[in-house]
Amino acid sequence: MTSQTATTNRSKLVVESSITDKKKIRGKVKGTILGPIIALVIFLSLWQAIPILFDIKPFILPKPTDVLQAAIDDWHLLWPAIQITVTESIIGFIISAIVGIGISILLASSRILEVSLYPYAVILQTIPVVAIAPIIVIWFGSGFNSIVIISFLIGFFPVVSNTLMGLNSVDKNMGDLFTLYNASKWQMMWKLRIPAAMPYMMSGLKISCTLAIVGAITGEFIAGIGGGRGGLGYAITVAAVQLKTPYLFACAIAGAIFGIGFYLLVSSISRFVLKSWHESAMKVEK
Amino acid sequence: MGAIQKEVVSFKGVDKIYNTGTVALSQLELSIKEGEFISFLGPSGCGKSTALRMVAGLGEATKGKVEVFGQKPKDLIRNSNDIAYVFQDSNLLPWRTVLDNVVLPLELRGFNKNTRKEIALGVLEMVGLKDYLTSYPRQLSGGMKTRVSIARALAAKPKLLLMDEPFAALDEMTRQSLQMDLLDIWKKEHTTILFVTHNVYEAVYLSSKIAVMSARPGRLASLIDVGLPYPRDRVNSEFTEYVDLASQSLEHSLNRKELV
Repeated sequence: MTSQTATTNRSKLVVESSITDKKKIRGKVKGTILGPIIALVIFLSLWQAIPILFDIKPFILPKPTDVLQAAIDDWHLLWPAIQITVTESIIGFIISAIVGIGISILLASSRILEVSLYPYAVILQTIPVVAIAPIIVIWFGSGFNSIVIISFLIGFFPVVSNTLMGLNSVDKNMGDLFTLYNASKWQMMWKLRIPAAMPYMMSGLKISCTLAIVGAITGEFIAGIGGGRGGLGYAITVAAVQLKTPYLFACAIAGAIFGIGFYLLVSSISRFVLKSWHESAMKVEK
Repeated sequence: MGAIQKEVVSFKGVDKIYNTGTVALSQLELSIKEGEFISFLGPSGCGKSTALRMVAGLGEATKGKVEVFGQKPKDLIRNSNDIAYVFQDSNLLPWRTVLDNVVLPLELRGFNKNTRKEIALGVLEMVGLKDYLTSYPRQLSGGMKTRVSIARALAAKPKLLLMDEPFAALDEMTRQSLQMDLLDIWKKEHTTILFVTHNVYEAVYLSSKIAVMSARPGRLASLIDVGLPYPRDRVNSEFTEYVDLASQSLEHSLNRKELV
């Protein structure tokens, strides 16, 4: 009898604990998903209410509904602009990834090269790209090519600095292991240093993918239309001149959404590449 | 028994002084014969790992000579697979599976793919990890990682196995089972083993000879011949005598340091 109650009690306990678990999970979902949604709703309603309450003109501060209306009305302009900016940023990013990783490997394979060239890479980074953008336009013409190059220049340095750091921070014991088996420089590079640098490389790429978009939009401010069709940056300048503020907001928000999407894509690629890694190595990427 | 055993490692008046001025080893004189299991026993900072690294060609003596099979270690590792090293932490490559980690020495030495795999499977079976070929290091326990690193060291069929406190980070149970397995491997493979430890029981259980070291500067304090037959019994009185002997000699070396 007593043992029976004991078992029922225990099973009750189990059931209760699973209920509390579910509650906990639900609580977590509430905290992590519902919280931001509520915040967003409050933000949007305030944004909607303030221009009405204080009678602010849409060209000074458009309401969210104005922005949405502008996006729908001018979709035939907005959509091509988005496509162009997306193309430019992705190409810029891919070039900065390839050139960045390639140059890092080159620099890391020769101490002399690294010591003599790395300072210039730093200097290249400290030059504001906006300042040299006009020269790039002079060299490569106005439009697509220049914009891609500007986007590349902005995204390039984080890849180099992170990859180089990774290539140079190989665990000493692992290096010894390779030395012990008389590994060639080449084997050290491909079988040890590059794999060991992966987490660093990935965090560099994650930084550079958002910068590539900033680069593309900045590039469009300066280098204008590409092949007769402008991207988001161009659309923003035009909208600002014409005081089409709601449309300007729509462009900015479209850029932000693309930025988030691109970042998530690169992050998931990075997670896939590093999935076999030790957690301690995973901590490097953030 | 009467045959003269071949000399595998010799330290001849070896000094090691680091750039910082620290004297890691002073006048180390030691000869290690083929088939021996010799432990370097000593407190931390006595230069036992330094000595091991020199044997592996990973460090140079400041004065004196270290020879392995009559050659300079650096030359030896360039041309042969005679030396293998088991590191303090398991030192596995986290991006490679168990099998790929074990294959690494063969890969670096340019063995072809099939031979590589065949040998790796053999040594993994020896350490009891044949069912974990596709696991990654992070999925393994500390003891299993150590087993993988031993398998990796054995893959290239070394004649001399150097082990730098390989069991230091393991719990007692795992350590004891690995010690037993290591002795089996030693018997089976006829390798010479140099084993660094600061654990007296471990040294007595495993070694045919114990080189007790004193610290700062690292010197050979005494050389103990452990005359116990294998497999050894950890609780018998003779075993305890050897433990006492090694401990005394260790203490003596420490006291002497304090007097100076």
